[in-house]
Amino acid sequence: MTWLRPLPTINPENKPFFAGLRERKFRVPKCQSCGHFNWTPYPACRSCLSTEQEWTEVSGKGTLYTFSVVHSGPKTFTQDGPYVWAFMKLQEGPRPLIVMGNLVGVPHDKIAINMPVQIGYYDVPGHDMTLYHFEAAPA
Amino acid sequence: MGFPYKETAVVGVYTTEQARGITRSPFSLEIEALKGALADAGLELKDLDGIATTRLQSLISGSYDPLHFWAEQLGQRSITFMGSGQPAAALAKGALAVSAGMCEVFALVHGKSKTTWNASKAALPTTAPRVGDWSELIYGATRISWYAAWAQRYMHEFGVTSEQMAEVAVDARYHATLNPNSIMGSRGEITVEDVVTSRMIASPLRLLDCALDNDGGYAVIITSAKRARDLKKKPVYVLGASEAAYIDYYLNLPCPSFPREGGAVRKATEIALGMSGIKREDIDVAGLYDCFTVTVLRNLEEMGFCKIGEGADYVKGGRLRLGGPMPVNPDGGLLSNSHNGNPGGMHVIEVVRQLRAEVEPKRQVKDARIGIAISQGMSVHGGAGVMVMGV
Repeated sequence: MTWLRPLPTINPENKPFFAGLRERKFRVPKCQSCGHFNWTPYPACRSCLSTEQEWTEVSGKGTLYTFSVVHSGPKTFTQDGPYVWAFMKLQEGPRPLIVMGNLVGVPHDKIAINMPVQIGYYDVPGHDMTLYHFEAAPA
Repeated sequence: MGFPYKETAVVGVYTTEQARGITRSPFSLEIEALKGALADAGLELKDLDGIATTRLQSLISGSYDPLHFWAEQLGQRSITFMGSGQPAAALAKGALAVSAGMCEVFALVHGKSKTTWNASKAALPTTAPRVGDWSELIYGATRISWYAAWAQRYMHEFGVTSEQMAEVAVDARYHATLNPNSIMGSRGEITVEDVVTSRMIASPLRLLDCALDNDGGYAVIITSAKRARDLKKKPVYVLGASEAAYIDYYLNLPCPSFPREGGAVRKATEIALGMSGIKREDIDVAGLYDCFTVTVLRNLEEMGFCKIGEGADYVKGGRLRLGGPMPVNPDGGLLSNSHNGNPGGMHVIEVVRQLRAEVEPKRQVKDARIGIAISQGMSVHGGAGVMVMGV
């Protein structure tokens, strides 16, 4: 099946992240000055504005911050039925890391805010690319 | 010597036809609205020297700044102030520019047609589009899904039910039935039951929790209070105005989202009310941005009309309706009057018309002297503009 959903544009700046996904690792820019993680990646640390940030592997574990079961959306998503668009809160701190993505593999009536979730990885068919999604984690 | 800081007033407002499937260009809506608002004020095109539009660039040259388009289109004249921001925030800054003497007659103009917020209407692509590295589109986000996820967390935090949120839509529709120009008024009133059984769009938001998705244009004119007194209509004085932003555009959700005292909406409200000297209990009519039912509950909370988490209690029993202590969106709002793509000016326009006492008698707030209007958006409540007005 041809993959028709939007794909990220990879460039030298974000390459360590997408190369990390290929290795089943989720890397987040960590400020080398104050130690805070920054997600979504930004040019400078949101706590101290240092531009010294290093891609650092995180646990990939956390909880479901919030979600929506989307019934009306882009056809490339809804053609497989309603899908789950979600925010995951990674366990790293101190400033909360909220990551957006799709939650998969959980019956929609079993999805609950604060349920344990983890980052999973999938290879995009027909493209030399790995992306992430969220899946239920053991409690 | 410095900026003169004159008092200012809204002197002209205009709305074009608001409808689904308008075939005219957005530009023709903008032109009609601009001319209409100037005529409403009793001003002429030649008086105009400040402008803000909801466009992001020149229609013709592709310039980064639509100022260049309007300077040319209006006959190669000096436009001395170019505003920006969400509609109510653009008006706030337009009033400031007039006050400070940078321009004398400022217009905010909007026109939209032939586009939609409805992501389900886009055709299937033949190849995977490439988007930004952290784009929401990779995960199928829609504008509704953002507000839906936010609503989900809101309901979780405060134990709010879909039935409680639905009251906002019911009251908006009631007002729309009193407004002959509203898109949904002719369909008649709805009930809480209608809202919570309407088609699910993105849980927990159903069709009737969502604003309309239509076309239309509008314009608002601001000038100095001194000049306003000689114009056609009763001046609606700008008593306080503000803008605030605290998050990027649909990239992140703040954490914690709740319970929190609020970000941009609270900040902008505090600034605008603070400079006006108006107390919340003195406000007669409110135009509260209502892209979704949940948005109104959070506006009421963050703006300080009730405590955080108590928006659902506040709206209980039709309190937002005409006859209540502070009627909200007597035109039917974005939920039942019109959502024309960038509709933040619509709330200002309705408040102005209420303060002028020029709407249909059955939806006129009696003796309305003080009004407030807010536009908000961006990653859900991440940016806001507030206008406090009085006669």
